[in-house]
Amino acid sequence: MKDESLDIVESADPMSVPKRVALVRPDLSLAVPRRREEQVTTFPHLIVREVILLQWVVILIALASLFWDAPLEGIADPLETPNPAKAPWYFLGLQELLHYFPPVVAGVLIPTLVVIALIIIPYARVNRAPVALWSWGSKRVTIGLLSLTIVVVPLLSLFHCWVVLVPTLACEALIGLSRPLPHPGRLRAWLGLRTLPQWIMTWFVIVACLLTIIGTFFRGPGWSLVWPWEISL
Amino acid sequence: MTNRLRVVFATSSVVFLVVLAAAPLKNALREYHGYQREYRRLAAERAPSARLARAVASRPDRIEQIWNPGFGNRVDRCVTCHQGVSEPTLAGAPAPFGFHSETAHTPVDLDQFGCVFCHGGQGLATTAAEAHGLTRHWPTPLLPSVYLEASCGRCHRGAQASEAPRLSKGRQLMERYACYSCHLARGYEAYTAEAPSLSATPLKLRASWVRAWLKDPKALNANARMPRFRIEPGETDALINYLFSRPPAVELASRIEAAATEPPGDAAKGEVLFRESRCISCHTVEGKGNDSAPELSLVGSKASRAWLLAFVRDPSAFNPRTPMPAFDFTPEEARDIAAYLSEELRDFSEPAQQESPFQPNQRLAEEGRKVFLKYGCFGCHPMEGMSGQEKIGPELSALADKKVSSLDFGRRSDLPKTLAAWVGAKVTEPSSFAPGLKMPTFSLQTEEVTSVVTALLSLSGEGVPDEYQPISASPNRVTAVPAGDVGRLFDRYRCLSCHIVGASGGDISTAPLTFEGSKVTRDWLESYLLTPYTIRGILPERMPFFRMNAGDAKRIADYIADVFLDDSIPSDAFGGRPPAQEEVAAGERTYTRLGCNSCHILGQAGGYYGPPLSDAGDRLKSGWIAYWLENPQRWREDVRCPNYGLSREQIVELTAFVSTRHKIAADPAAGSQ
Amino acid sequence: MRIELSPSVWWYALSRSELWRSIIRHGVTDSSRNRSLAIFQNFFLHMHPVKVRRKALEVRHTYYLGGISLALTAILAASGILLMFYYHPSVPEAYMDMKELQFTVDIGTFLRNMHRWSAHAMVLVVFLHMLRVFYHGAFRPPRQFNWVLGVVLLTLTLLLSYTGYLLPWDQLAYWAVTVGTNMVRATPVLGERIRFLLLGGNIVGANALIRFYVLHCVALPLLLVLIAALHIWRVRKDGGVKGPLAEDEETLEVYR
Repeated sequence: MKDESLDIVESADPMSVPKRVALVRPDLSLAVPRRREEQVTTFPHLIVREVILLQWVVILIALASLFWDAPLEGIADPLETPNPAKAPWYFLGLQELLHYFPPVVAGVLIPTLVVIALIIIPYARVNRAPVALWSWGSKRVTIGLLSLTIVVVPLLSLFHCWVVLVPTLACEALIGLSRPLPHPGRLRAWLGLRTLPQWIMTWFVIVACLLTIIGTFFRGPGWSLVWPWEISL
Repeated sequence: MTNRLRVVFATSSVVFLVVLAAAPLKNALREYHGYQREYRRLAAERAPSARLARAVASRPDRIEQIWNPGFGNRVDRCVTCHQGVSEPTLAGAPAPFGFHSETAHTPVDLDQFGCVFCHGGQGLATTAAEAHGLTRHWPTPLLPSVYLEASCGRCHRGAQASEAPRLSKGRQLMERYACYSCHLARGYEAYTAEAPSLSATPLKLRASWVRAWLKDPKALNANARMPRFRIEPGETDALINYLFSRPPAVELASRIEAAATEPPGDAAKGEVLFRESRCISCHTVEGKGNDSAPELSLVGSKASRAWLLAFVRDPSAFNPRTPMPAFDFTPEEARDIAAYLSEELRDFSEPAQQESPFQPNQRLAEEGRKVFLKYGCFGCHPMEGMSGQEKIGPELSALADKKVSSLDFGRRSDLPKTLAAWVGAKVTEPSSFAPGLKMPTFSLQTEEVTSVVTALLSLSGEGVPDEYQPISASPNRVTAVPAGDVGRLFDRYRCLSCHIVGASGGDISTAPLTFEGSKVTRDWLESYLLTPYTIRGILPERMPFFRMNAGDAKRIADYIADVFLDDSIPSDAFGGRPPAQEEVAAGERTYTRLGCNSCHILGQAGGYYGPPLSDAGDRLKSGWIAYWLENPQRWREDVRCPNYGLSREQIVELTAFVSTRHKIAADPAAGSQ
Repeated sequence: MRIELSPSVWWYALSRSELWRSIIRHGVTDSSRNRSLAIFQNFFLHMHPVKVRRKALEVRHTYYLGGISLALTAILAASGILLMFYYHPSVPEAYMDMKELQFTVDIGTFLRNMHRWSAHAMVLVVFLHMLRVFYHGAFRPPRQFNWVLGVVLLTLTLLLSYTGYLLPWDQLAYWAVTVGTNMVRATPVLGERIRFLLLGGNIVGANALIRFYVLHCVALPLLLVLIAALHIWRVRKDGGVKGPLAEDEETLEVYR
């Protein structure tokens, strides 16, 4: 091996740390550019920015607090159930799911799976490699998308869970559209470079936001669908 | 650090400080400061002395509150803005600074009661919007002032609450219209309506009359107490079949059938008797009368002659709870009265032909029984085999505590979302909330509705501490209605239908019997019972002429003279000696000076408001006259005779004068016309 | 001799005084040495390296989402401690205390608003922070464990917000917590028990209030501070904040 195979990474730590060694597979390019980045002293450059940040956070929250009062309803009364009884907004996505799935699925299984999925992200091999989904091969991806559709459509239809089904199909369509073409536009080219985990996370965020928005603004008495202005706040 | 960053940092620091200063600034500008400033200006202007003006002007801004740890730990901060409530100099000042109007409890008891207990609203608040409780999340908004007396009723639970006429009226109306027959309410668990029994329907009523009555009672009788039910036509048929299928009780049937065979009486004689017996002291005929018993204007079109005759002879046989006394008419007199009722008091426009007896259909009668149950008719009209039925309406006991969110407004989206509005609409138009609701329509006047709503809003389940309970009637009052033989006489003549005895009895008569023995002489009482006459001509209600036999009158008079006594009232004001001549003369001067003759007749002249005093010496005990003169309102709260604050000497003199007035002519019926 | 009493003279005298030098040991003149000393001689700042990459200061690099979360935590701690002075975790005093804050306590409403809006903002910002880290691929080695700590912090944030939701003891609080704890009930086998443990009973009542209070004011904040400290410390140990992938990183596969 030549000398260049060892990339010397400059440490930001003032203490001397062991030099790091990168092992590079023989089938990959060894041409790793040496990156020397410009550095500045933390004080004052970072510290001042941090102080400004703190100030603006306080300013924005204080302005909000001056103009909008925190809600306070009547004293808690176990005998008087509001209709609908809603959880805090960040759990309304789950509560919305509860409308479609049995409690053990919506209230336990799904949140547990989400937390587990989040935790294993950095340890899953598929996440480590920033490899575009379509580089797996058109055939594999197409078969994957089709089999996913075959599983998801009947399953979610069974529970009438259109709020999840529709964005799922939309995401699949987007993946399909981002299939590499000889002369793609800039957006398509950019989409074509997205990895599978990125697609999954995007899908998750869209579904979670949609469920939360519907649960917060579109659910009235008996968890029926209403317009936001019909909800007496 | 770049120059740009420096500028950003400097600007952000300034904004930061400004925003942080805004919060305390906003705090310092809370609205109560403005009210307190304005109050200080007003109070200083009106202060009686310069020193007091300076004192009030230099008062600091602060949140003020009435805190009552012993009264539900109430904290009322209303006085933070309403600063003048207990400051008489602020009388007539503009809101919110005015002096609280004077009532039995205000402003003297403000510290004991606070504000919210009576007025509602959010006492904790220090802003007008929140305090007046017009926010969605405060269960008790400010009580509209028309219903304010409802709050009196939360402690004063009796039918009559002094100084709360609207509340008292509402409670009377609720009893009159028998709300408690269908709705349970605390204190009215044993309530029974005065509705007629339906046990003799086939012998009393005609089917066509029942049909018209069920359609709208008020159309037949403007004073009808029965409300208008929304009964389907098919249901009406079934109901009539049911009522006419019930066989009358054997005992009543035989009385009525016997009466039917009697010869008709003389209606003209009956009319005289009707007037002499003072029937309109309770009944109403063509707009005249007390209206505490059924209207009789069209009774001839309603009830059969035989039934009327049997009823007049012994009302309690038909309804053991009837307030109507038994009159000792001779058989002939009773026939005359029945003739008058059925021939003169009827609807002359309707055809006089005889209606053939109704033939009930058994299948329809079965259905009718269900209809009878469905509309809760048994609530007012007792029916055999239905005594254990649950009341048909919801309980009213804690109505005032209901939260608006728990109320079903149904189709009435036009109503303001308040309890008062909801209750008001329920009373006025109970059917407007949803189809199929069973509560009938009572067709009340606007003022009557307001009174009933006031009474309903007083039904709170929230208790008040013992020391806040109103002082009850004094313990030495006779509460027991007589028992034994005299009790039976009291029952026969239904004395308690009109007179108060202790805590029970009706209020038609202005003369409570509780201490009657200390008031009138035995001899006068006996003669009065035998031949009652008008004492106060201004009152439409008179003692009925029972044609009582001498033995009964003597026993009642003896009992009242021996038992219905107040030991604190001496029977003789002069300690056994006869009143001196000078005292009588001095008393006469006082009588003239006070202008007693503007209300009382004495000799040839005098007013009609009070009772005549020409025979006061025969009627009244001198001890009672003196007791009365000390403080007339002690006898009855609503007495109009002024309390002149006479000295002991003046009282004795005036008593001497009044108690020596005796009847000139020995004519007992002098005032009976 | 005339002594000039300008601010700069005062500043000079103060920074040379024994008191000053006993607290801040490095000099005040702007030199590289003093800039470095300002960081690593300061207990609070020494989590930072002395020098940072200029690129890491750019907004687009991190959007400062972690910093915003930390700032919000600071606001929450400060306003929370002040609110604790006015709060009784009992029924019905808890609710009455809200009314006192609203109507009698100076800037009480403002305090409560600050706390509530910061709490909502915190949930949002922490979630956005997670998304930022994910899309920038900043969870990749050697930062795997710090990502896990981040997920734990997100969970703690949600729990803190949720436990705090009950404390005003109004209808909103009561029923939100009832709905939430009813979801727990669906857990197979242990559901009822976990719920009982959480509420100190079978319904949301005074026991639940005190449990949520202790969790909200003591247990969860302690955990949060501890783990957040670890999280921030590891950011530095793992090589500083990690921005978006550089163009040439796109195809790089390391640590397979």
